Amino acid sequence: VTGQEIEMSIRTDVRAWLADNWDRDLPHDEWQRRVVESGWAAPTWPVEYFGRGLDADARKVVDEEFARVGASGTGIDVMNLYANTILAHGTKEQKGAFIAPLAFGEHRGCLLYSEPGAGSDLAALQTRAERDGDGWVITGQKVWTSNAQEATHGMLVARSDWDVPKHRGITFFWFPMRQDGVEVRPIHQVTGGAEFNEVFLDGARVPDANRLGEVNEGWRTLQTALGFERLIMGAKAGGNTGDRRPDWTPEQQAEADRESPWTRQVGGADYVELARALGKGGDPVIRQEIARLYTYEQVNAWNALRAGAESGPGAASPLASLGKLAMSRIVHSGVRVTSELLGAESVLDGPDFPEAAEVNRSAFAAYVSSIGGGTDQVQRNIIGERVLGLPKEPELDRSVAFRDVRKAPATRRFS
Amino acid sequence: VVFTFTAEHEALRDAVRSFARAALAEAELRKAMSTPTGFDPAVWTRLATELGLPGLVVPERFDGSGAGLVELAIVADELGRALYSGPFTSTALAAVALLASGDAAAQADLLPGIAAGDTIATAAIAEAEGQWAADALRCSATVAADGWTVRGSKHYVVDAHVADLMIVAAAVGSDVALFAVRTDAPGVRVAVVTGFDITRRLAVVELDGAPARLLGDVADGAQAFARVLDAACVLAAAEAVGGAAAALDMAVAYAKERVQFGRAIGSFQAIKHMCADALLDVESARSAAYYAAWAIDDDGDDLATVVPLTKAFCSDVFFDTAALNMQVHGGISFTWEHPCHLYYRRAKSAKQLWGAPSVHRDRLATALGL
Repeated sequence: VTGQEIEMSIRTDVRAWLADNWDRDLPHDEWQRRVVESGWAAPTWPVEYFGRGLDADARKVVDEEFARVGASGTGIDVMNLYANTILAHGTKEQKGAFIAPLAFGEHRGCLLYSEPGAGSDLAALQTRAERDGDGWVITGQKVWTSNAQEATHGMLVARSDWDVPKHRGITFFWFPMRQDGVEVRPIHQVTGGAEFNEVFLDGARVPDANRLGEVNEGWRTLQTALGFERLIMGAKAGGNTGDRRPDWTPEQQAEADRESPWTRQVGGADYVELARALGKGGDPVIRQEIARLYTYEQVNAWNALRAGAESGPGAASPLASLGKLAMSRIVHSGVRVTSELLGAESVLDGPDFPEAAEVNRSAFAAYVSSIGGGTDQVQRNIIGERVLGLPKEPELDRSVAFRDVRKAPATRRFS
Repeated sequence: VVFTFTAEHEALRDAVRSFARAALAEAELRKAMSTPTGFDPAVWTRLATELGLPGLVVPERFDGSGAGLVELAIVADELGRALYSGPFTSTALAAVALLASGDAAAQADLLPGIAAGDTIATAAIAEAEGQWAADALRCSATVAADGWTVRGSKHYVVDAHVADLMIVAAAVGSDVALFAVRTDAPGVRVAVVTGFDITRRLAVVELDGAPARLLGDVADGAQAFARVLDAACVLAAAEAVGGAAAALDMAVAYAKERVQFGRAIGSFQAIKHMCADALLDVESARSAAYYAAWAIDDDGDDLATVVPLTKAFCSDVFFDTAALNMQVHGGISFTWEHPCHLYYRRAKSAKQLWGAPSVHRDRLATALGL
């Protein structure tokens, strides 16, 4: 049986199922349940866990067929990194207990990784996990947690052994969020939004049955989870972080939300429009800056195109690791250009000055690219070491018991 | 399809790279640099007979391989990596010019010699002002009963001192046209000038009523001129990519090997981060150069933005990477014996030839509608 025949047969199956089941008028929850039960929500998962045991090529076919009729609901085998991590590291009992509620959307996750004292150096985390009977007691603080309010569970990394080097004393848990001892507080951002939270853990409990991977082997589970997260990042292209100001009326918010050319980060033609509108198209400095910005955007698009063409079996493209730096360069350059174009007006802000507000919002939003998900400096280390093969910096804490390592303060209240 | 390198492409790249490793090593380059012509004619003959490089872009009916800009870019990339000092790019560009002219008779007369490696050729575009643009041409051609003659002077002509044939851009009234001029014709004087890039010879060519052969129709001259300039920019970009990649490889290798303060200097983030940024630049330049080569072969409608963007970006990246290579090498890069300065010289000069990055960026701004 050729790959093409397999693809054809999957396509036929999906089409037939959609023909029988797709109903635009169905409530979202009801539709989602139907897709999950059918196995089409997560085609690459095993059959016993709501999947169909298919490969990544097959899931593209499923995507195409769902998109063709305009149906949502497939793709949780990419987007649900919690279930993916549990499938990769969980025991049979854990999979049996945790996958179903995640698949049906009854349980929702969040990531309890970063701490005030553990940002770029995540392995320096200091949240404590102490054994107590058939469970663990958790004490410490996590930060930059998205969706912490809505989450029923979090993927938590905590220190279970202080007498070994930092990577070797970490344990990974599927941690219940709805309990005493968990306090979630939103962090107010420079953009006016509050997409992240800090999570205070004070004597919170997690059963040992919720431990993913061996005791003190949590760093390994974490690497898998981070891999699934990168997969999602790769699947999403860009994305606007949105701007919210508590003092804005709904009308003002709508005005700020409307598609503004100032926020467009791809397609130099938009900057061109603005330069012309402002009568600065002849300014030689502006011309050079816009040409540079357009160039950064174009070469990044071409890199993506080339990475796609190069990514065959066994051909890992170095381009994959470069996209983040490229994007930071684009967004920060974009801010420079738009600020330069706007000139003095860029000192203004708020709904009365929507252009200036957009420029200033995007100025801060640019740091989502250069700090969020790992700083550009850490990314340069990764590129230098893993792609170019340059030696690592000597690490003072490498083979020292974590207890004796110099540490940043473990807690700090941001909100 | 863009970026789909075929087995033939890879075979061509491998062949040129292995040849360059064996025959164009630094010792050979230095030896060639010290000769009056600046390149080794025996190696040129081998490039022609063993690899068929001069005839790569020449159609099969004229004894060539009928390849396109993508294949030329692959060769320019690999030869640029080795800082090849011979007239490959110049000759290939002249062949592209003959093809762009659409002049079947001239093609039949001149391309077989190029394909065989017997005719070395170049393109003479810029003049004393150092501009590669149709509206900057002062050289002019006139026609009389016994044919066309060209008058004026051409500057920054690469490889003119060894060329048998020159493609000369000249004004005809308010039009532009391409002409074939033999370098041994009366009224042609080629004077080599001292260049900063000692791996490549430049000349000033005086044309004092030199007999010239009009290529194609004057009416189509502007279009042919534009095609030559596009091809020249993309080949320069591909050469720059090869040079930049070599410079980055050198810098990274040295950073791994050089020890100071008890550790390899590449473990210092000050060095590591420069190299990581350079990798982004070099890989982006590679994407641009090959995208542009494909765009030319596919007769893309985006050449007006793609070509100036690519020339500007790749030139900048080559210079920045060659400069980084100097800095990473520290004191040793300041010695004549070390090859760092050869890459720096090539990069700094190549940045200006065929139009400086700022000129091309301005051209890009215009193409974007500014």
